[in-house]
Amino acid sequence: MTTEELQNTTADKVVDARGTACPGPLLAAKKAIGEISSGQVMEILSADEGTRRDIPKWATKKGHEYLGTIEDSGFFRIFMKKG
Amino acid sequence: MEENKKMTMALCTGSFDKLIVAGIILSGAVAEDMDVEIYVLLYGAYAFKKENGAKIDTSSEYPELNRELKTSLESMNVPTWVDFFTTAKELGNVKFYICGTAGKIWGGEKVSDFIDLADDICGIGEYVDSAQNADVHMLI
Repeated sequence: MTTEELQNTTADKVVDARGTACPGPLLAAKKAIGEISSGQVMEILSADEGTRRDIPKWATKKGHEYLGTIEDSGFFRIFMKKG
Repeated sequence: MEENKKMTMALCTGSFDKLIVAGIILSGAVAEDMDVEIYVLLYGAYAFKKENGAKIDTSSEYPELNRELKTSLESMNVPTWVDFFTTAKELGNVKFYICGTAGKIWGGEKVSDFIDLADDICGIGEYVDSAQNADVHMLI
């Protein structure tokens, strides 16, 4: 998805993991993905640089769709759709 | 359904820094839905004694950096190694087995002598068998 499309996306679940370092955001995503249904969108907020690569890889491997990442002021907004 | 991948870890260390490393790797494995068996050996068994656990705060490597490391970890909200292991166990299929000999060295004979994370006491044969069947095997 384009940045503009992502900016207009309202996630079904937003996970704020900005207070944690790796693997905090990944574990938060893993926990939260069980709380949404297939086809729903989850947005993970992370200030951890490593997570930017980690979560898309994890999402794709686990059969979800990585939609894209927006860089905000000091943190990332990572979007994925549950498979 | 595809069977989960397996990780086997031999945890020999009682240094809190390396225990945190183990906790971080374990977290990644659990996020990947791997089944994990951790065999707690020698100094690991010391850290797992009920009276030790989260109180373990020394590292054998660069002990002069202990204070700096602890301060940084705290400011970054990095959990303690016990918290890492506890969360991993809540989220996935993770088992901790204490080596019987190592346990005895530190005065622990029964699983109840160790922190609640410990699932059982084991012999080395079980560890070798687990390592043989693991997709990922590591020694920390």
